[in-house]
Amino acid sequence: MTEAAIRLSGIHKSFGAHHVLRGIDLQARNGEVISIIGGSGSGKSTLLRCVPLLEQPDSGQIAVGDDSISLGEPGQRLTGRDRQAMRRLRSQLGFVFQNFNLWPHMTALQNVMELPLHVQKRPRAECREEAEALLERVGLTARRDAWPSQLSGGQQQRVAIARALAVRPRALLFDEPTSALDPELVGEVLTVIRALAEEGRTMVLVTHEMGFARHVSHRAIYLHDGRIEEEGPPEQVFDNPLSERCRRFVSHHLSRN
Amino acid sequence: MDIHFLLGLIPTLLSGLPLTLELTVFSLLGGGVIALLLNGLRAGSIVGARVADFYVFLFRGSPLLLQIFLIYYAPGQFSFIRHSFVWPFLREPYVCALLALMLNDAAYTSEIIRAGLRAAPRGAIEAAVVGGMSPLTRLRRVILPLAFRQALPAYGIEITGMLKSTSLASVVTLMDVTGIASAEVSQTYRAIEVFLTAAVIYLVLVTLVTYGVQRLEGWLSPTRTPLSARSAA
Amino acid sequence: MWDDLTLLGFGAMGWGHALFTAATTTVAVSACAFALGLAIGTLCAWAKLSGPAPLRRLAEVYGVVLRGIPDLLVIYLFYFGGRQVATTVAGLFGHHGPVEISGFAAGAIAIGLISGAGQTEVLRGAYQAISPGTLEAAKVGGMTRWTMFRRIIAPQALPTALPGLNNQWQSAIKESALVSVTGLVETMREVGIAAGSTELPFLFYAAGIVIYLIITSLSGLVFRTAEWRAMRSQMPARAR
Ligand SMILES: Nc1ncnc2c1ncn2[C@@H]1O[C@H](COP(=O)(O)OP(=O)(O)OP(=O)(O)O)[C@@H](O)[C@H]1O
Ligand SMILES: [Mg+2]
Repeated sequence: MTEAAIRLSGIHKSFGAHHVLRGIDLQARNGEVISIIGGSGSGKSTLLRCVPLLEQPDSGQIAVGDDSISLGEPGQRLTGRDRQAMRRLRSQLGFVFQNFNLWPHMTALQNVMELPLHVQKRPRAECREEAEALLERVGLTARRDAWPSQLSGGQQQRVAIARALAVRPRALLFDEPTSALDPELVGEVLTVIRALAEEGRTMVLVTHEMGFARHVSHRAIYLHDGRIEEEGPPEQVFDNPLSERCRRFVSHHLSRN
Repeated sequence: MDIHFLLGLIPTLLSGLPLTLELTVFSLLGGGVIALLLNGLRAGSIVGARVADFYVFLFRGSPLLLQIFLIYYAPGQFSFIRHSFVWPFLREPYVCALLALMLNDAAYTSEIIRAGLRAAPRGAIEAAVVGGMSPLTRLRRVILPLAFRQALPAYGIEITGMLKSTSLASVVTLMDVTGIASAEVSQTYRAIEVFLTAAVIYLVLVTLVTYGVQRLEGWLSPTRTPLSARSAA
Repeated sequence: MWDDLTLLGFGAMGWGHALFTAATTTVAVSACAFALGLAIGTLCAWAKLSGPAPLRRLAEVYGVVLRGIPDLLVIYLFYFGGRQVATTVAGLFGHHGPVEISGFAAGAIAIGLISGAGQTEVLRGAYQAISPGTLEAAKVGGMTRWTMFRRIIAPQALPTALPGLNNQWQSAIKESALVSVTGLVETMREVGIAAGSTELPFLFYAAGIVIYLIITSLSGLVFRTAEWRAMRSQMPARAR
């Protein structure tokens, strides 16, 4: 439990004149579940998207396992070696989006098989077997030949989780995985995420589900204005934060749920 | 490249411009009228709709050049036409080319009008019905303005399309910009200089028309700052 | 007049054979032009979407220019202009007199360039209709650009692009009639020859129209079938 799966240091990111991330340091140890909370526009999504370099930070260092990339200046062009590192780094991560982002031209099963088969180039029979097992885990064996457009939001998100797991990732990243769902569909997705946490997966979770975050995570982070304002065990961050702003944020959200 | 040749070339080619513009304007006017008739026919009856469909299929499914040749050469095959009063007209390449351009334009324009008339969202029409507008007021105040805005970009492309299509009239000996250019090439054998210069003339015309239509679109756009607000600022 | 119809047949006196061959040539020129247009269109769509600035500018100028010039002039430029260049070049090597170039090649290149300008816009629009999130999901999965194009972009863009590509193909067929001015014996030219030598212009020009209608509607049917199948595999809820 001591080795770090993800290490971020000194991450800065601006969009134009808007300085969204102002020096973030964050480590996720193997098997650790971290939840990130914070107000709208505080930079949670941007931070999470920096890990697989969906956003390129202006400066800072990102490491996943043994692969790392250092960035020195805004808009720096990645070298060939950086690009290779980026691809290796990405292939160790599973990312679950708020809007699922399933590939609409593939069935549920094909979505889950795609990356192992066409990126990792594992044997087809093996990919298929594993994909079927993953769909069973998320409770969708019966819908494996359905197209994304035929699935409910909750089902789509569960397929997306299976797809993220199919690459055998070192860590899973979730960006508000239940925010786009109707309230009655939230539970089925949270159940799947909770089971993953309980089996000791490394996860970073951006969420507005405060009760859930407090229950599953080992550590919580409150982000404000591009900085980590409060960080600690969930009991501290959710019940007894040092920061007054964090206290107001949490009490507002906990009372709402 | 020989600058004197080019300088002499420009006025020569421009002398075909009036004919090019005349053909464009007349074929758009004639084509527009026929297109409206086609839409009336379509609204009238099922048979009418079928006839309109066939008309569109015929003129959009075959090349304009062939349509021009058919109208120009085919009547001569029939002696009853050769002896009728229309013959003096149908023998004229100008009349034939213009007729073909009009009929062809009508097929495309009628589809643009049709798409425009379907543009009014059901909700907008229902709101007008609930608001107590008579069918005529509805057409005038809701359906037509929406149709016009919807159809304008496509019709802009049709205008430039017709402008370019008039160049085919040169194939039946008309001396429009392209016709003069061809004649010039057969005298001087300087195809590249002559045709490029002609191309630039069309390019300028098309650019002007495109710009004009875009201005009109911007002016009609619902997001435009209202004049009253602008003068107040 | 009805006796004249045998002239359209495949008998000894009939023009059927010649017309059939000419129709094949029409399809061949159009197909070459369309394929060239597809290659140019793909390249220019890429340049406009994410190419370096000079290439993007070039693609834009190309589009504006080719959409601003009559098709006939483009063909004239390539055929007569090409002949002028070939003659000049041959003259430098001591060859005298005009050099002929292939009407087929000049025509296919000219129409290919025209078609390329249209196909650029079709392909660009189809790419822009793809939900960007599905591309991010592919990136996070570690896909290379080529794998992403092959597995995620192309299969999603194609169904959206098919109606537009169908339009471009129909235009290419109709524009191919203009290649008759180079002397290439395709449908337009062949019906002209037949009309002249039989003195039955109505019969043969009308037959020409029918031939084009057959080609455009049959190939339109092929496109629509492809479209329907592509739609079905993606949005079964709507198509069935
Ligand atoms: N691609 C972008 N271009 C410009 N500005 C951006 C971009 N992405 C994010 N931003 C801005 O950066 C800031 C942080 O955005 P981010 O999406 O990270 O916030 P968030 O904490 O995830 O908020 P939410 O809870 O609403 O999802 C916001 O002000 C947003 O407008
Ligand atoms: Mg967010």
